[in-house]
Amino acid sequence: MKRILYLYLLPLALMFGCNMEKDIEILLPEHEPQLVVECYLEQGKRLQATVFETSSYFDAPTPPLVPDAEVYITFRGKRIKLKYEPTTSASGKRFITHTSTTRMYGTPGEVFGIEVIDGKGRKVTGFTTILPKVPITKVEWKFNEKDKAYVLTSFQDDANATNFYRYMTHRGKFDKGSSRDFAATDELNNGKTTSYGSAYDYVEGDTLTLTLYHIEKQYYDFLQSTDDAKNANGNPFAQPAKVKSSVQGGIGIFTNLVYDRDTVYISK
Amino acid sequence: MPFSFSRYLFLLFFVLSASIGFAQQYRVSGLVKSAAANEPLIGATVAVPQLRQGTSTNATGFYSLTLPPGTYDLQTTYIGYLTTTQTITVTNADQTIDITLQPTENQLNEVVVVANSLQQKLTENRMSVEQLSTREAKLLPALFGEVDLIKTLQLKPGVQSGGEGSSGLYVRGGGPDQNLVLLDDAVIYNPSHLFGFFSVFNPEAVRDVELYKGGFPAQFGGRLSSVLDVRMNEGNNEQLRTSGGIGLISSRLSIDGPVVKDKLTFLVAGRRTYVDSFTRVINKLNEDKKDYNPIPDYYFYDFNARLNYKPTPKDELTLSGYYGRDFFVFKDSGFQFSFDWGNKTGVINWRHNYSSRLFSNTSLSATAYEYRIKNEIDVFSFNLRSDVKDLTLKTDYEWLLDDKHTIKFGASGTNHAFTVGRLNFSSDDNSLNFGAGNNYSASEFGAYLSDDYKINALLSLNYGLRVSGFNNKGKTYSALEPRAAASYNLTENTTLKASYASMMQYIHLVTNSGASLPTDIWFPSTQRVKPQRSQQVAAGVSKLFGQGKYLITNEVYYKWMHRQIDFRDGANLFVNDSLENEFLFGKGESYGNELYLEKIKGRTTGWIGYTLSWTYRQFDEINEGRRFPTRYDRRHDVSVVLLHQLNDRLSLTGAFVYGTGNAFSLPVARFAFQDVERKEPTVIPIYSDRNSFRLDATHRLDLGVVWKLKPKHGEADLTFSAYNAYNRRNPYFVYFDELKDEQDEKTIGFQAKQVSLFPVIPSVTYNFKF
Repeated sequence: MKRILYLYLLPLALMFGCNMEKDIEILLPEHEPQLVVECYLEQGKRLQATVFETSSYFDAPTPPLVPDAEVYITFRGKRIKLKYEPTTSASGKRFITHTSTTRMYGTPGEVFGIEVIDGKGRKVTGFTTILPKVPITKVEWKFNEKDKAYVLTSFQDDANATNFYRYMTHRGKFDKGSSRDFAATDELNNGKTTSYGSAYDYVEGDTLTLTLYHIEKQYYDFLQSTDDAKNANGNPFAQPAKVKSSVQGGIGIFTNLVYDRDTVYISK
Repeated sequence: MPFSFSRYLFLLFFVLSASIGFAQQYRVSGLVKSAAANEPLIGATVAVPQLRQGTSTNATGFYSLTLPPGTYDLQTTYIGYLTTTQTITVTNADQTIDITLQPTENQLNEVVVVANSLQQKLTENRMSVEQLSTREAKLLPALFGEVDLIKTLQLKPGVQSGGEGSSGLYVRGGGPDQNLVLLDDAVIYNPSHLFGFFSVFNPEAVRDVELYKGGFPAQFGGRLSSVLDVRMNEGNNEQLRTSGGIGLISSRLSIDGPVVKDKLTFLVAGRRTYVDSFTRVINKLNEDKKDYNPIPDYYFYDFNARLNYKPTPKDELTLSGYYGRDFFVFKDSGFQFSFDWGNKTGVINWRHNYSSRLFSNTSLSATAYEYRIKNEIDVFSFNLRSDVKDLTLKTDYEWLLDDKHTIKFGASGTNHAFTVGRLNFSSDDNSLNFGAGNNYSASEFGAYLSDDYKINALLSLNYGLRVSGFNNKGKTYSALEPRAAASYNLTENTTLKASYASMMQYIHLVTNSGASLPTDIWFPSTQRVKPQRSQQVAAGVSKLFGQGKYLITNEVYYKWMHRQIDFRDGANLFVNDSLENEFLFGKGESYGNELYLEKIKGRTTGWIGYTLSWTYRQFDEINEGRRFPTRYDRRHDVSVVLLHQLNDRLSLTGAFVYGTGNAFSLPVARFAFQDVERKEPTVIPIYSDRNSFRLDATHRLDLGVVWKLKPKHGEADLTFSAYNAYNRRNPYFVYFDELKDEQDEKTIGFQAKQVSLFPVIPSVTYNFKF
């Protein structure tokens, strides 16, 4: 049987044993850099934003800073200028270029604006509407015979609005990348109790942090489109996808982060 | 101007009646049959060289010529059969002459005989048609040794594959969804297995294939770009036959023969891959290894069956069917993912000869294509399903009016039922239960009338009109589709041809993959989604030379495509109750020149094809409204196919292909997306113009050896083949890789990478027949 198997697998081994990938040179057209803005507003937290530029694909990997960019956040008739002061966030994971001592306090339905201008005359604008928090109502898990558990996080969707969510899980230390992250709409379960789950990914003793973001449509579109753009690079069947920014005049996202978070210890 | 179908019909009848004339000539007619199987041969050529007059047998194997009194040679040719010539004398009466053809003894000779039809190919007024027999395809080297009729057709000019190894057909700038694929008159919605790498046509069950690239006869409608008409074997009327092959990844078997001689014959054929048998063994051997990831099961099979019943000499009833399925299954503890898809068809067909001048062919066919995805995790299940089901009644009439006119008319009606993105997500305890999806029901009809008019010995004309319509939820579309083709014999060996065809397509493939995938779904025209339309003009010249050994044909074509379909960036095509909102509408054009040289006699035969072409699409919402080339826009496409018979037992075959690289999109820039806290930053590509880059050119040489064995019973051969003999790494796609430092995982740069699919792949297939 084994001999037949080897005979059969010979051409397949030849096929898969060969290195079918190679480095090539691609000449890209000239690229005119655009402003890239990333700004998330969170209740009670300082106003901060990151402003970079786009790069031609084969340029140095470090994102180009824009020191002469000026960032303004507008709300309740005020226009707060954020100071250019490159630093990293408390976790050390995120790079921030502009900050303010002003803290954000908003109520659901309230609109905040952003305006970014630089010395080249480029201008980026955007708006975000504060959303209400959607609480996690239940977290449960179940083991299989291999002692692996899946986890289910439930919440109640509001039937009177079209809602968008982002669900993230972190295992162990919270500063590590998420083990599960997706964005979804309530299109198929409007007004129902909704559960987001996992595969049998967890074992007894795992500590899980579960975060349910209630997000704006523009944030959902941005997340989906950036995923599509990433997936199109390397997928021979995908069409190229254009990033759907929530800002005008450049690329990026300006939104508010409203979430409920729960930490659970997986036990039998 | 109001719709006026009656005006067109009147005009057509007027032209018909005005051109009909009568002369003192007598009819010679009869059946052309196979001596081996005693079955009628469809499409055989019956000609009188002295008068430069000829015809082809119809769907019942019947031919009819109208000749003046005299003595003539009646020459009959057919693919895979020896040419016969018999002397006939036409007196002052009609006469019936049945003709029996002997099959050639080996496959290579059969291919040589193909060339005998070149005289007919030269003089007939059809153009832009490629014909292929299974016997021809079996000789050529094939990927994994799997003979594939569609891949052999890709070697013809004007026909391209979607990518290396793909069985998709891109005909004169059309997409794979714009091909009308018929198996014994039943539509096949997804003609491929294994994600497009193999076609659904088992070579043991298929007799021959005709591909119309343009100049479409009026009886065909429903797709824009091509008609692939596949005919199954009828079943041997003389003796029980068994044939088959054992290959690298699949085996096939066919049994056919008489049940009641001269009355009832049958054919059954099946094929199955067995990669899964080996991967299961591998999984079993490794099941105790802790970190071993089991290889998913994958296999496909298909099954063909056909019954032919001739209750009277004037009637023939046929029952034929196809069932094929692909399975992809992955199981682990508490988890099961399965994905299966396939086509099924069933056709009842009745052919009737009312007289030696009037024939009919009526069929009732049912066809279905579906895919199902099932995902079960413990108590939760996720199911996604889409399908399309058709029920079609069709009737075609052929009326040999006189020696100048052959009138064809008919009608068809189809009921379509679509299930689009039917999703169900549930749990055993019913704590989760939601679903989505839509059902659509639509009807499509067509009626046509055409005249094959031999104006004189030099000039012939085929003109006709098809009227088609579609109804979905009260929204009705209708259209007139005029067709015309003309042929003029400039000299004895040189013919000029031209054609025009207008085509409508009322159902659409929902795909944004650029390739044909099993999850692609069909969607009907609706109030918002209007039918697609194309118009094509073509002109060509054919010349027979080298004492009839060679035929060279050059055709130019131009095709306009209206209301072409694409989808918004990031469109959700799987689960979307508002799928219509994702459609984008645009236009397209395709034009080019096809050069085709065939050599037909001698020990070395084959063909050379060269296509120069351009294909574009334009949508307001794509590429900022600018025109862009399609992925399969191929400026130069060359194929060279050679078959050489060394001796009675050994034959060598080779096929070389060259094509300009596919157009594709690449990101030109990028930005860093840091995301929220506790997320790793990622690089987001920024794309510019659609399909503005070109892959490197593709070229490949496939070699084959057919070695006839001498078994005690029947016939057998070993077919060796080497796909991509000089191991060319043809580009399949290109992507930009992020290079990371091995120590700290930080990004240190970016590199373009090219991925290829197939290196040199040797294979051997054992074929037998007894």
